[in-house]
Amino acid sequence: MVVLGILALVPTVDAVNIALQNRELSNPDSQYVWFANFAALFSDKRFLNAIWVSLIWEILTVSATMIVAIPLAVLLFETVGPRARNALCVLFIVPVLLPRVSAAYVWKFAFHPLYGLAAYPLKLALGRPVDLLSDPHTAMASVAIVDVWQWGLLFSVIIAKLLETLPRQPLEAARLDYARTWEVHFFIAIPMLWAPLVSLVFVKMVESLRAFDLIYVMTRGGPGVATETLDMYAYSQGFIESGRISYASSMAVLMMIATSILFTVIWKWAR
Amino acid sequence: MGPLTARSLPRLAGRAVIGVVALLVLVPVVWTLMSSFKHTVDIETTPPLLFFKPTLDNFLYVLERSSVRGALVNSIIVSTSSVLIGAALGLPCAYAVARYPTRHADDIQFFVLSLRFLPPIAVALPLMVIWLDVGLYDTRIALIVTYTLFTLSVTIWLAIPAFKQVPREIEEAAFVDGYGAYAIFFLIALPVAGKSLIGPIVFSFVLVWNEFLIALMLTTSDARTLPIVASELSQLGFDTPWGILNASVIVLSLPPLMFLGILSGFLNSSLKRKT
Repeated sequence: MVVLGILALVPTVDAVNIALQNRELSNPDSQYVWFANFAALFSDKRFLNAIWVSLIWEILTVSATMIVAIPLAVLLFETVGPRARNALCVLFIVPVLLPRVSAAYVWKFAFHPLYGLAAYPLKLALGRPVDLLSDPHTAMASVAIVDVWQWGLLFSVIIAKLLETLPRQPLEAARLDYARTWEVHFFIAIPMLWAPLVSLVFVKMVESLRAFDLIYVMTRGGPGVATETLDMYAYSQGFIESGRISYASSMAVLMMIATSILFTVIWKWAR
Repeated sequence: MGPLTARSLPRLAGRAVIGVVALLVLVPVVWTLMSSFKHTVDIETTPPLLFFKPTLDNFLYVLERSSVRGALVNSIIVSTSSVLIGAALGLPCAYAVARYPTRHADDIQFFVLSLRFLPPIAVALPLMVIWLDVGLYDTRIALIVTYTLFTLSVTIWLAIPAFKQVPREIEEAAFVDGYGAYAIFFLIALPVAGKSLIGPIVFSFVLVWNEFLIALMLTTSDARTLPIVASELSQLGFDTPWGILNASVIVLSLPPLMFLGILSGFLNSSLKRKT
C-alpha cells in the first residue's frame, strides 16, 4: 500500500514541479518560471480549442455509449433465450478486448474512402468516395463510433447481466397490470438499477479520457485541430512539435486538478 | 393467432436489431482477418472482394521485420513481468484489506480507484523526465516498474472481493491448528480463492498488453512495445500497406482474445456477486 502510494505520488509531485519550470527536451538545464506556463496556456487558442474538443468528446462518447447500451441490454434480456444471450454476451465483449490500436486500425480500414467496408455503401449512395476521417465535420463522430463500438457493447452486456439479477416479482406485477414491455423496463427495471448505472457512467467518463490511442492512430488530432483533445495537444507540444515538456506538463497538471475535483465530487454525490 | 403475432412481431424486430449489432462486431473483425491474408491487389479493388487467393506474405513480412520481433519480445517480457510482480505484491495487499478491515478500507479502495482518474499523460510526462534523469529511459526496466503501478492497483482492487469470499471458518480452523498468518495466506486463502483470482490477473495482463500512451512516451527504439510498432507501420513508405497492417492487427490482438473465455466468465461472476 505504501509502495503504491509512493509510486503514485512521485509522478504527481514531479509533474507539478516540472510544470513550474521551463524545461525542454533538447536542453536539460532549466529554471523555475513559476506560473508563466499556466498564464501562457490561457491565451493559447489551441489549448482552448483542445478543452472544447475534449468536452465534446467526453459528452458525445459517454451519452452515446449509454444510449446504445441500455436499449440493447433490454433487447438482449427480452428477445433472446438464455443460451443465445450468453453467446452474444461473449461476442459483444470482443471489441473492448481488442487493443485500442487494433480497434482503431480495423475501423480506419473500414472507413477508407476507396476500399473501406463502411465507406463503400456511402460511396455507392453518393457516387463519390467519402473520407469520413479527414472531413472536420465527421472526423470526431467517426472516431466516437469506434469508442461506442468498444464500450457501448460491453456496457450492454453488463446491464443485461444486471437485469438478470433483478427480482422477478415487481416486473411480473407490472406485466399483470398490462404494462407494455418497454414500460416495465423504463419505469421499473432501469430505476431499480440506478446505482450501478451511475457507476457505469462514471467508469465511462474516466475511460473516455483515455482515448488518446484511438485518436492518435485514427486522426492524429486532425484534420487540423478538429479532434485534438487535451492529451493529444499536450503530447504534440511535449514531443512532436517543440519538446516543451514544461508547457505540456502544466497542461497535464491542469487536467489532473480538473479531473480529480470533478470525479471526486461526482463519486461522492453519486453514493 | 391475434395476440401471438402482436407479441412476436416486436420480438422479431428486437432480434433483428441484435443480429445487426452482432454483425457490426463480427464483420469488421472478420474483414480484417480476411484482408490480412489478401494480396494488396485484392484489397485495393472495388467492390470489396469476398473470395480471393489467400497468401501468408503479410504475416511473413510482419514477423520478419526486426522491429516487430523486438517489440513482440519486449511486449511479452514487460507484460508478464509487470503482471507477476503486480500479483506477487498485490495479492497479499488485497488479502490484508479484505481480512483486516480498518477504518480506512474504503479510503484505500477509493485511492486505488482514483489512480485510474489520473490523465495518463499526467503520469507519463513526469515519469519520462524521471527515467531520463535516472538514465533508464527507453529500457524495459522503466516500463516494467511503471506498469507495475497499474497491475498492482488493478490486482488489489479486483482481488479484494475474491478474498472476502473465502469462508472465514476455514481460516479459523487453520489458526486453531497453529498456522501463522503467512501460512494461512499461502496454504489456505490463496488456494481457496485461487480460481477467482485468475480473472483479475488476466485482466491486468490485457490492460498492460494494450497500453499505448505511456509506452509511446517512455520508449523510442529499444524498448518499444507491440502497439507502438504497430501504430508506426502505417507510416511505412508512401502508401498505407493495408495487408501488412491488418496482419499486424491480428498478431497484436491475439493474446487478449485468447483470454476471452476467462474474462467473460470473470465478468459474469463479479456481476452476480454484486447483487
